[in-house]
Amino acid sequence: MSKTMTVDILSSIKGAQPSESVNQLFDVIKNAIPTNNNAANNVNRNCVSVNNLREDVVIESSAIEKQIILENFPNKKNGFLVVAKVIEG
Amino acid sequence: MDSQIKKIHQQLVSKQITCTALVQEKLDLLKQNTYNSVNSLLDALALELAAKVDAKIANGEEIGLLEGIPFGIKDVYMLQGTYATASSELLKNYKSPYTATAIQKLLDAGAIPLVKENCDSFGHGSSSENTIFGAVKNAIDPTLVAGGSSGGSAVNVAKEYTVFSIGGDTGGSIRQPAGYNHIYGFKPTYGRISRYGLMAYASSTDCVGPLAKSIEDIRIVLNVMSGKDPKDQTSITSNEISEDAIATSSVKTIGYFKNFIESDAIDAQIKSDFLASIEKIKAKGIEVKELDFFKSDILVSTYYTLAMAETASNLSRLDGTNYGNRIEAENLIETYAVTRSENFSEETKRRIVGGNQVLSQGFSDEIYLKGLALRDQISENFSKDFQEVDIILSPVTPSTPPKIGDSLKDPLAMYLSDAYTVGFSLGQLPTLTVPQGTSTGLQITAAKNSDELVLKFANFLKDTI
Repeated sequence: MSKTMTVDILSSIKGAQPSESVNQLFDVIKNAIPTNNNAANNVNRNCVSVNNLREDVVIESSAIEKQIILENFPNKKNGFLVVAKVIEG
Repeated sequence: MDSQIKKIHQQLVSKQITCTALVQEKLDLLKQNTYNSVNSLLDALALELAAKVDAKIANGEEIGLLEGIPFGIKDVYMLQGTYATASSELLKNYKSPYTATAIQKLLDAGAIPLVKENCDSFGHGSSSENTIFGAVKNAIDPTLVAGGSSGGSAVNVAKEYTVFSIGGDTGGSIRQPAGYNHIYGFKPTYGRISRYGLMAYASSTDCVGPLAKSIEDIRIVLNVMSGKDPKDQTSITSNEISEDAIATSSVKTIGYFKNFIESDAIDAQIKSDFLASIEKIKAKGIEVKELDFFKSDILVSTYYTLAMAETASNLSRLDGTNYGNRIEAENLIETYAVTRSENFSEETKRRIVGGNQVLSQGFSDEIYLKGLALRDQISENFSKDFQEVDIILSPVTPSTPPKIGDSLKDPLAMYLSDAYTVGFSLGQLPTLTVPQGTSTGLQITAAKNSDELVLKFANFLKDTI
């Protein structure tokens, strides 16, 4: 991969630049010397065991939920939801 | 202070007050308030629910302890049909399609939601100034910040506009504003309360928790909201905490982090007040141990590295496609970029960019993965400490609340002001702010899942210092 993705592209934020304040925080991490460099996640185990997974079922949204999702849609025309313009090339 | 919930419950049951009058009084106070603590009022819903409670009482029916109790909700929670703005431009017209589990449990218990409360946008801040609704003013001195990110919630409780409020705590966002406004604020063990319906900031430390004026009210609300939820697979099963169980303390040994107190950054008064509190605790026959801990800059940097990485991922969905304030541009990619550039605040953008920096190729090993390794070490350190002591006591903040306007000028200073709260978030530990001991309170922390012990020690402290 020779193509470099800058943070403004990665973040979808125009003209975004790394911040000096935030870089100072990252420098502390760069200079830190952990006793173990491999995050084994030995302590904070939040994963769910396979036996404990919830049922994979489709839950129908309520009528009010569907209505609010439609209301939240940013653009409507003649009863249709309008997506953003897609022009490739 | 004694339980406000129990007091109001008695007044309702004995018909000294009606629920409608109570709710109307609180709504009026919220409406007229000048602290910028309100994003939207839920007046129609609240009055409708209050009338139902009054009808029940008039019919001679029994009501539950939380039935008719007015409360506030930080504006990052879903409550079906109400605005959920995250205090952001992007979601200023967004309506919750569903209700968060924690909030639903309170509704099921009969509590009445009054208000969606002002906060830092998406939880990004420690002062409640990063908001489109105006900086929240401190309840004690309105020239100072309320703290954050749950600043509106803390002020509403402190001013008694709400009986309790539900905040969110990722790195101190309940505990610090509680300290700044002299009330109780509890961040439970990670997973004790379902995060379903809480807008995600940093999912591995996000916690739902109550702010209130008494330990008893914290206990009551915590019990109602706790429990495993299939909609949040990181949620855990927990036992109810009874009033009797926390009435007397069995704590024999506590500890505090030496380097927190010996730091150059700590305010001289906070330091001497903290040490005076330690002496009072010793005088009660409790052994106090000085503990070694990571330097504050390591804690803050580890927390912000991981929190920024997580928020960059969590907020990537906010692109104006299905919801939010979409700004159309010449093509889809431009539409995403313009929508996000125009609608996110400077602080939110700073965190998203920081997160993408540490997650990008070349940086992730050197920063993000190292941050994860440091977090492991921090957690291991806590595990060792809790073999030595029952409780860890800390100040909430190194300094007193800054003036409104100062934090936004110096983001690094704001990040460093979280030095005493972020470590416990990384460790996923239960931690309560009590309005005692220093001018911004004290934090009581116990081992994971020992939430009961935290409340027990808080009761002991209430009578000790």
